[in-house]
Amino acid sequence: MRSNNMVAMILAGGRGTRLFDLTKKVAKPAVHFGGKYRIIDFPLSNCANSDVSTVGVLTQYESILLNAYVARDQNWGLDVKNGGVYVLTPREKDQADFEAFQGTADAITQNIDFLDSLDPEYVLILSGDHIYKMNYANMLGYHKVRNADATIAVLEVPLREASRFGIMNTNRNDRIVEFEEKPAKPKSNLASMGIYIFSYKLLRKYLVADAKNPNSSHDFGKDIIPMYLKDHKKLYAYRFRGYWKDVGTVDSLWEANMDLLKENSELDLGDPEWKIYTEDANALPQFIGKEANIDNCYITQGSVILGRVKNSVLGTNCRVEQGAKVYDSVIMPGVKVGEGAVVNRCIVADGVEIPPGAKVGDKNSEHITLVAE
Amino acid sequence: MNALGIINFEDNTATIDGLGDYRPVAAMTFLGRYRVIDFILSNMTNSGINSVQVYCKEKPRNLIDHLGQGARYNINSKRGKLRILYGEKPFSSPIYNTDIANFALNMQYIEADPNPYVIVAPSYFIYQFDFNEVLKQHLDSKADVTVLYTNTNKAKTEFLGCDVITMGKNKRIQSFDKNRGNTKNKQISMEAYVLSKALFIELIEKASEASSLYWFKDILKDSVKDLKIRGYGVRGYVACLNSLPEYFRISMELRDREKADQLFKAGWPVYTQTNDSCPTRFALNSSAKESVIANGCVIEGKVEGSIIGRNVTIREGAVVKNSIIMTDSYIGKGAKLDHVVVDKYAMVHHVNKLEGTDEAPVYVKRRDRI
Repeated sequence: MRSNNMVAMILAGGRGTRLFDLTKKVAKPAVHFGGKYRIIDFPLSNCANSDVSTVGVLTQYESILLNAYVARDQNWGLDVKNGGVYVLTPREKDQADFEAFQGTADAITQNIDFLDSLDPEYVLILSGDHIYKMNYANMLGYHKVRNADATIAVLEVPLREASRFGIMNTNRNDRIVEFEEKPAKPKSNLASMGIYIFSYKLLRKYLVADAKNPNSSHDFGKDIIPMYLKDHKKLYAYRFRGYWKDVGTVDSLWEANMDLLKENSELDLGDPEWKIYTEDANALPQFIGKEANIDNCYITQGSVILGRVKNSVLGTNCRVEQGAKVYDSVIMPGVKVGEGAVVNRCIVADGVEIPPGAKVGDKNSEHITLVAE
Repeated sequence: MNALGIINFEDNTATIDGLGDYRPVAAMTFLGRYRVIDFILSNMTNSGINSVQVYCKEKPRNLIDHLGQGARYNINSKRGKLRILYGEKPFSSPIYNTDIANFALNMQYIEADPNPYVIVAPSYFIYQFDFNEVLKQHLDSKADVTVLYTNTNKAKTEFLGCDVITMGKNKRIQSFDKNRGNTKNKQISMEAYVLSKALFIELIEKASEASSLYWFKDILKDSVKDLKIRGYGVRGYVACLNSLPEYFRISMELRDREKADQLFKAGWPVYTQTNDSCPTRFALNSSAKESVIANGCVIEGKVEGSIIGRNVTIREGAVVKNSIIMTDSYIGKGAKLDHVVVDKYAMVHHVNKLEGTDEAPVYVKRRDRI
């Protein structure tokens, strides 16, 4: 595989506190999505499909599963010569205390030796908590054509929602002139997706300087980007069109799963040109029983469906017994729904057993019920 | 385990009409996401056999693609080896393309293998089995050859053309005959043999001298007097995919998860090539019952009692009953199928109705457009 001299660094230390029990034992990037995937499969697959073959994954919070998971780089076709997935965790260093990553920029600074050893021309900074399909090679092409110092992927959001995001104010040529974090009165609707391409040499200088600044929070959005702007560095907005979702809450995780049920969904995981890869579950095909009733569902291998399932996403090796009913729900891998049980508007966490006859969730609820052990 | 695994090919008693025109039985898709060879190969690797030779009579393309270098079957990339072997020499007539001829042509690889025992088994018998058990008994009994067999009371309709064994004291095999379907209770040889490598080589040489038309099973049949050949009964689910109706019947039988669980036991994974297909989407107002469905499909119509392979599309208004639809096929709007086997990459969209029977399912060719 041809290399494009760009190394990706995926920030995967996020705790995902608003996912509550889903992230009690695993980091947010390891949370299941779409029946057979984990969230981090998306940036990893995007890297693989974009010819970015060296990927550092920066983990911190509850990282045992995540470290082991991403280390199997053959799952994403990233096990190439001169490439691979590198798990980077906070570590003790000579003449420095053992310290957790303090901010997004600090996480990269602490791994400057790693980047130096690879000597890349460009560094791609990604987040491990978003669901989207994106060709980073195109973004790199844009970065090169503009001769940019940094390029930030942006999404056009409705202006009334813009105050929830970090907003890039640009000139006519999409050169970024100002960055505002969650502005009360947004001047533009270009929201940062947390995806950056930096020319490494310059970034390295800024990271080193930032590390010495005691007043910095060592964050890309809060510190590094404003410094670049102050120094009139060339920052460009790269407009992304397509599906992108931050699945930070139970409701948004549920919604993103439900988007898979739509015909012609923007998030088409069946596109043979842009597959999303994941671990091989080695499960049986799905077995659908004589009395099963399936309507508008997204179901993956290993499932045994004997009851009624409607408007739902069902994960690997889950089992819906006879007389059980699952409506408008996301059922994660390994879940058993007992005979006659009813599940309504829920996310059921992996491995949970819903006892026969139990009723969970409410079809009229405002929010989605999270069922976890 | 100190045995070399040899996956043999089936002889001419096994012909699967249609499907067999494109690939050996070993490479046929089965239950939506498997190939027939996955079962015996997984049995071998799960038993701890790390050196496997797969013999291929012809059309190796499918098998090479499917098997890869063995990592997907859990064969160790450093200490193990999976070889796909075939007679590189052209045969003046297909009748000379026997297993013996292929073993003889690849003798250097058999000789070079350091394991003292061989386990020879074809892929068209499917079952779940730990070879450690039989190797242990083979050694304890001091038999020359141990042959796996299954008891059946359906020999009138199943295992037709297979070898039937008769056994005497201590399960010593006295004869091998053909199952011609005349009685219902029979002991069927599963053509899986355990023997020392030295004897295996000796028998290959003997067979080559006896006749250029000999198969390994023929030389065994000739040797029942001279060698101590013992039977080893295999309990549990055993099926032989040796004709289109049998392929069809066995597939249909395994739609039942309880039946299938005899073949797929916990802790005994059946490995296969993965494809990174996304989950299957069942559209609004679709319906599916009593079926086995692989990933990557879009089901808009009605599916009943069928086996649906990877990346199959079944459009609105289509009704697929008691049928086997293979990988990447397309069933168009309103098509009605009953007892049909649709081979890979086929499109059924201009015919409204296809109807076969249990004994004679309709076969739609690979890449056909009808």
